Amino acid sequence: MVQQATPRDTNDRLAKRQAVSFGRLRKSIGRDAPLYLLALPGIAVLILFAYLPMSGLILVFKNYNFNDGIFGSPWAGFANFEFFFSSMEDAIRATRNTVMLNVLYMLTGTFFSVAIAIVLNEMRSKWFVKITQSVMFFPYFISWIIIGAILFSLLDYDKGILNQSLAALGLSQVDWYSSPWLFMVILVLANIWKSAGYGAIIYYAVLQGIDTSYYEAARIDGASRWQIIMRITLPMLIPSIILMSLLSIGGMLKGDLSMIMGVTFLNPLLLPTTDIIDVYVYRTAIRSGEFGFASAITLYQSVFGFILVLVANKMAGWYDKDSKLF
Amino acid sequence: MFRKKGWLGLLMTAVLLLGACSQGGGEATTGTGGNDANPTDASGNEASGELAPAKLKIVLYGDESNRMKELAKTEFYDRIKQEINAEVEFQFLPWTEYAGGKTDLMLSTGEDFATYTDANYMVKSVAKGLYADLTPYTEASADLSKTVDEASFKAFQLGGKQYAIPVGNKPNSAEFYSVLVRQDLLEEVGMSEVTSLAQLEEYYDKAHAAHPELIGYAGVDARRMLLYDYTDKNLYWQNDFVALDESAQDDQILNWFESEEFKKYADLMRGWYEKGIIPKYAATNVPQLQSDWNSGKAMFWAGTAARPFEGAATISQAVPDAKLVNYFLGEGRSKISRGTYSTAFFVSSAAKDPERYVMFFNLLQKDQELYDLFAYGIEGTDYTLDENDRITRLTTDSLIPDWLLMNKNFIRFDNSVPDDFIAEYKAWDDDAIISKGAGFNFDNTPVKNEETKLNGVLTEYLAPIGSGFVDYETGYPKALERLKSAGIDKYIAEYQKQFSAWYAEQNQ
Amino acid sequence: MPKAENKGLLIFFYVCIAVFSVICFAPFVLAVSGSLSTESRIAAEGYSFWPRGFSLETYQFLFGSKLEQIVRAYAVSLTVTVLGTVSAVLVTTAYAYVVSVKSFRFRNVFAFFAYFTMLFSGGTLPWYLLSTKYYHLDDKLIGLIVPYLLSVFLMFLMTNYFRSIPHEIVESAQIDGAGHLRIFIRIMLPLGRVGVVTISLFYALQYWNDFYLPLMLVTDERLYTIQYLMYTMMANIQFLASGNAAQVGGAIIAPPLETAKMAMTCLTVLPIAILYPFLQGFFVKGIVVGSVKG
Repeated sequence: MVQQATPRDTNDRLAKRQAVSFGRLRKSIGRDAPLYLLALPGIAVLILFAYLPMSGLILVFKNYNFNDGIFGSPWAGFANFEFFFSSMEDAIRATRNTVMLNVLYMLTGTFFSVAIAIVLNEMRSKWFVKITQSVMFFPYFISWIIIGAILFSLLDYDKGILNQSLAALGLSQVDWYSSPWLFMVILVLANIWKSAGYGAIIYYAVLQGIDTSYYEAARIDGASRWQIIMRITLPMLIPSIILMSLLSIGGMLKGDLSMIMGVTFLNPLLLPTTDIIDVYVYRTAIRSGEFGFASAITLYQSVFGFILVLVANKMAGWYDKDSKLF
Repeated sequence: MFRKKGWLGLLMTAVLLLGACSQGGGEATTGTGGNDANPTDASGNEASGELAPAKLKIVLYGDESNRMKELAKTEFYDRIKQEINAEVEFQFLPWTEYAGGKTDLMLSTGEDFATYTDANYMVKSVAKGLYADLTPYTEASADLSKTVDEASFKAFQLGGKQYAIPVGNKPNSAEFYSVLVRQDLLEEVGMSEVTSLAQLEEYYDKAHAAHPELIGYAGVDARRMLLYDYTDKNLYWQNDFVALDESAQDDQILNWFESEEFKKYADLMRGWYEKGIIPKYAATNVPQLQSDWNSGKAMFWAGTAARPFEGAATISQAVPDAKLVNYFLGEGRSKISRGTYSTAFFVSSAAKDPERYVMFFNLLQKDQELYDLFAYGIEGTDYTLDENDRITRLTTDSLIPDWLLMNKNFIRFDNSVPDDFIAEYKAWDDDAIISKGAGFNFDNTPVKNEETKLNGVLTEYLAPIGSGFVDYETGYPKALERLKSAGIDKYIAEYQKQFSAWYAEQNQ
Repeated sequence: MPKAENKGLLIFFYVCIAVFSVICFAPFVLAVSGSLSTESRIAAEGYSFWPRGFSLETYQFLFGSKLEQIVRAYAVSLTVTVLGTVSAVLVTTAYAYVVSVKSFRFRNVFAFFAYFTMLFSGGTLPWYLLSTKYYHLDDKLIGLIVPYLLSVFLMFLMTNYFRSIPHEIVESAQIDGAGHLRIFIRIMLPLGRVGVVTISLFYALQYWNDFYLPLMLVTDERLYTIQYLMYTMMANIQFLASGNAAQVGGAIIAPPLETAKMAMTCLTVLPIAILYPFLQGFFVKGIVVGSVKG
């Protein structure tokens, strides 16, 4: 009896609970209806230009030919990944270089962007802030090709300004373009130069939104400028820093091909550190005209980035539930 | 919630794309069938009245000049309409989209157009079913095939089918096998000619002493011009990895990077690099080399038949009295030609009327009058001819690019080109032979992975050795190891197998 | 109060920013001077801060007879930038608001729905197929706007700005019976104005700098944007200079490569350099208004 009754009871209870939760759901949908409405245009854009095209991912596992179409083409399994993962040495090096450079970019970029934003925030001379902020934003618009050309005129072995200065000082010249590890430093510096001003704008905007009463209170308490920065300004920026980091962690395996091409001209002697995944794919798959191979590796970059972001997101949740991305 | 949406999206696209692609393929088939029905149409000479109106889209790469825009709407349009009853639209794409990029997208999504290609891109695209088979329509290019040689047609055949129509006819044997020397510099340092490597290096030493700011060779690849100094064979490269010995009557291919010849060549180049004939910056900034050459800052370059006058036009902006002469560093080896085409036009497999496209290609090289129209424009407005038939162009705007059309039967020279240059140019191919590999197109499908990986090894390890940036002794062991692990043996074996089969078929 | 220390730190700050600004500005001077130099002297002597052999050759080469086209391209770019920025900001802030509402049970789903697209993409082929064959965005002005209406990065950035608005303000509005639409329009947008202005700036730049959409979707030259025009010219010049031209059978032409690169930088950066102080004026004003209300 008891054994018979229990399932029915459970069913009833379940049904009741469902009714309740449906009711609640309906109610919440009623209240939240405007939210769906607000999100609708965004959802439409995402579906039209991101989710529907995503069906193309299937191509990565196919041997595409026009006559059979995307879905009729024969399956290739993981064959499109083979060229990359069958030369493990290259795959590991490319992955390592990509992650290494991205981590360095992220750390230095964030540091300088935040530093600039904080420093600008301290300044009271409006015209100075205005001019310098504009000027620091300039490099963002200059393409890597131009930056590469300018760097070349600085670093060229024979005629480069840097080597000529070294020679004038009686020091020995440096062959920058055949020193892979040295060149990594140059890449990091170039990245800071190009993107710090851009990042600073984001953080500076956050600081401009801070209620000035915090500062007044601190000043009345006799806190020094440095203390104010460390105790008020910086903590204010932490959520934004976490957000920006989370957003860039997803792209941890994606590299900037145009940067490496522009700045190193794909110099073979620098490849030990500059052969990031995108460069490797470019000089193998794309050079051979195997575009299917190239998109397969893009999927690898995405999946790996996705895993990293899931982990990082979880970790951000430990720090503060609100700083999670989703 | 996300899941549902994601899958729904996927499903919807699946339906959409499936529809799109089957439609594209279907159209292509009906198009072909329809034209097969009346093959008698296949003559460009027929009165346009008999042809149904058609619309053609021709994609060209580069900048569209204003004059081209105008002509495309007026004279070009009218004339083509009159000849083949087709309305032609020209679309210009940036060069980055050549053989890939948007061209690939347009092909893959079934657009109806034609543009030009090379053998490499053709092989890959045909494997994906992107090009229309033009074999049934070769008749329509009857006029063109009178002025373009047969070897050029063969170069764009695969499995006996014609996939692209070659355009242009120019002497292009022994491309980059000669040294293009700045004759004015050569004479300035008291020399008159360069017929050996020793003389070339002497020229460098003397010119370097007089002008230390000049670089020697404005390139990183000299395997062709230095041929005489490292081998007795007459090598002709099929691609970066495979060469043929044209002096031997056999089907043997040469695995270039594992050959003795490569070692000797690499040592020569190392010498050049250490000597400064190739500047140190060449390892990084290859475009700078050409820029130096163009601004008159280099002593020699790799030569082609046309470079003495084409190149002179460029350099003369920086060095008005520059004179360029081609020299070979040895003698006794036949010049090798791959066919005299400039490029070749293909038609997308979704095209409704491939035959009409072929008829259009035919017009490009049909006769002097049409050639003049497409390459130079309207006489009196765009150019004038003097009593010697020398051309003076009245506009700098380029029309259908003249390098593309360039045909020695029709080309007009301007006043700045000396008569002896023209004579030499036209006779350039007289003693040339067609490569025994001309018309062979390697099907890379069985070794796609290997080829892709080999390209990686090439750019990182072998190219620097070949250009002398890295010493052969120190760099080669590692390079060889990578070459092996990338599968060079399998690649070479496959290449040899296909080539032997093809060669046997040709020489039956 | 350690005043001297404060002052010292401040001076140090000023010096650092000034130095970095100079480093950032230098290449721009090089670009202007390079674009006004003659190609042969740049090739021979390298860049300098003062034009080598002052000439307008490069600009003549670039503009040639194309002045009309360039003016039109600027007009198209401006239209796309203005229309695009306004609509994108609307779409983005609305979506960001939804994600930022803490009581909304699906907010994480929406956040994830957006974030996922930042990582995964199906490549250009299906995108191109859908855009041209199904959405028919080819050769339409709207095609240069719609695909970029929601930048997920900027959406999250906006969410971040919304979240920094004190929750009490929203709560008191809710108690007054305000619905989501009202809160979004009357409270969040004005209070999040700093953020709105920031993402507007970034959207404007994105639309202004884009050459990809015209490359993919436009064949009608009346819809060419200035960036696309520059991209095309640059791509062609580089192709001619790279020697690849010889492989395809191209003739050897010597375009003014170095100076052209510089001139194009000037032509695309200059409008922004001129407009930026104005934009920034708006930017700063926005901040002031925002903080007064806050």
